[in-house]
Amino acid sequence: MLVLLLFLYAQERGRSAFADRGLPGHVELLIAVGALAACVVLAVALSALSWRATRFTVDDEAVRLHSGVIAKRQRVARLDRLQAVDVVQPLVARLLGFAELRVEVAGGAGSQVRLAYLREADAQRLRNLLLARSAGLDFEGDAAPEAPEQQVVEVPFGRVAGSVALSGATVTLVVLAVGVVVGVVTTQELGVAFGAAAPLIGVAGSVWTSLSRSANWRVATSPDGVRLRSGLLESRTQTVPPGRVQAVRLSQPLLWRAFGWWRVQVNVAGFAGEGEQSQDASTLLPVASVDEVRRVLSLVLPALHDDLHAPGLNAGLSVGQNSGQNWGLDEGLRGTSPDGGWLVAPRAARWVDPVSWRRRGALVTEHALLLRSGRLRRELDVVPHARTQSLAVEQGPLQRRLGLATLALHSTPGPVRPRAEHLTQEQAVALLDEQALRARTARAAAGPERWMEQAG
Amino acid sequence: MSSPFDLPGVEWTSVSPRLVVARRVVSTAGTVVSLVVVAVVATLWWSPWWIAAGAALFALGAWQWWLVGRQVRAIGYAEREDDLLVRRGILFRSLSVVPYGRMQYVDVSAGPLERWLRIATVQLHTASASSDATIPGLPPEEAARLRDRLSRRGEARLAGL
Repeated sequence: MLVLLLFLYAQERGRSAFADRGLPGHVELLIAVGALAACVVLAVALSALSWRATRFTVDDEAVRLHSGVIAKRQRVARLDRLQAVDVVQPLVARLLGFAELRVEVAGGAGSQVRLAYLREADAQRLRNLLLARSAGLDFEGDAAPEAPEQQVVEVPFGRVAGSVALSGATVTLVVLAVGVVVGVVTTQELGVAFGAAAPLIGVAGSVWTSLSRSANWRVATSPDGVRLRSGLLESRTQTVPPGRVQAVRLSQPLLWRAFGWWRVQVNVAGFAGEGEQSQDASTLLPVASVDEVRRVLSLVLPALHDDLHAPGLNAGLSVGQNSGQNWGLDEGLRGTSPDGGWLVAPRAARWVDPVSWRRRGALVTEHALLLRSGRLRRELDVVPHARTQSLAVEQGPLQRRLGLATLALHSTPGPVRPRAEHLTQEQAVALLDEQALRARTARAAAGPERWMEQAG
Repeated sequence: MSSPFDLPGVEWTSVSPRLVVARRVVSTAGTVVSLVVVAVVATLWWSPWWIAAGAALFALGAWQWWLVGRQVRAIGYAEREDDLLVRRGILFRSLSVVPYGRMQYVDVSAGPLERWLRIATVQLHTASASSDATIPGLPPEEAARLRDRLSRRGEARLAGL
């Protein structure tokens, strides 16, 4: 408000200065500098006040956050509903030794509890405490022990750089840059370069962001769940407790195919709706080999791990050995055939989906539903039966004419929106009915929210 | 109706025909307002095209009048042991299955027009934003009964996320 008034004054003053052709006098300059200083002091005082008013407590059941100077606000987040804990350190905070703690609960947009900033060691301690309490772990003393972690995957920087270089944004950047150079050379006018500067900088910025975000990406496992560490300048540590992953999407842009790289994204309740943040919060691995994908999948969906190790299924996993008892990962990642029990789109689907109808398919395993799609950009969605929220069969007029229907699985908001497009309508409805039953039985057998309380 | 969307052993309950009235009132009001606007503009700047525009609007209104009846008849729901089924649509058809255990909360709402016609809308919400279990046009007693029943069943089968 004050800033706005000052701005208006400055504008007005500037105009009159132009009109009079007179420069501002010393007194006026002093006033201006004084006002600016007052603004800074006021801003600092206000944030200090709001910082003083922010308090939090943690007890056995919940974390409570009190904030606000004039309008008071209290937020209580139940620990057994905790979905993930992030420790984020932007560059400046990292240099000063501070960290921000974010507690995600499944309450939609803006439901996270943010504690900014804590001392780095305090943030670590608090995270351990929250996770221990949330897990229902018994421990002695005030400080919860840090869960021992074991590194599973570390993404080499070369591969991150390569994956970013082969992303759509970089391609756009190169095309733009070449276009500008060509434009300048042919028209002999530098104006072209200036005109293109803004979009160029924008695209370059997004390339840089994805590079710095994905650098130093490490995935570790601990009793508290999957721990992700990443960041070049800003560092973030994310802990996703067991059983919080609602769905997984593996995707491979066309340019990555030659290298066999995959991106792994997940739906975790509470991650969505944070805008820009949701995208990187829900990335499990920015770029991974098939082998790493397998390792990480069995980490976040331990039930699939059982599927992987069931006798007879494991044999089919290695590439090229597509026996009838294939678990389906290889077929799901690359395949276009019904081998291994895939339910595929019928031939009629080519009229509505000429490019990738052959690749569309669904596979039911003991613990999850796998959905593959995409001819150019390959995708494979994995939805555990126990995490299916609701289901629907949809049919448009064209599909109806062709006897097709689409099965949609509803997961929590996030990057994964699993849909089995263009199955035959009988298949779709049958699958709907079966999945509803499977979801029910799987859910009844699923572990407790407090994951350490599973009595042996 | 359509065979593939009829699950075996499911008895569909259809919604109140008063919903047809409610939807027709809304669509007719829209048509009448735009017809009046066309008429006013036509008296100010006369052109034979206005007659065509008016006829088109009228035809659209009539088509909607007819369509609403069919659409409402296509809406149906069924309570099964563990889940609620909702189906809708003629051109774009859908059939949703919402397990009671996944229900986060139930909304019952009724606008002034709906209240006057004694109907209400019941909506089930799960943790997923894309779950679409909306049943419009229920008589208030049925809406209240369904609400209580759903929340009771949801409690009995409550299952986290």
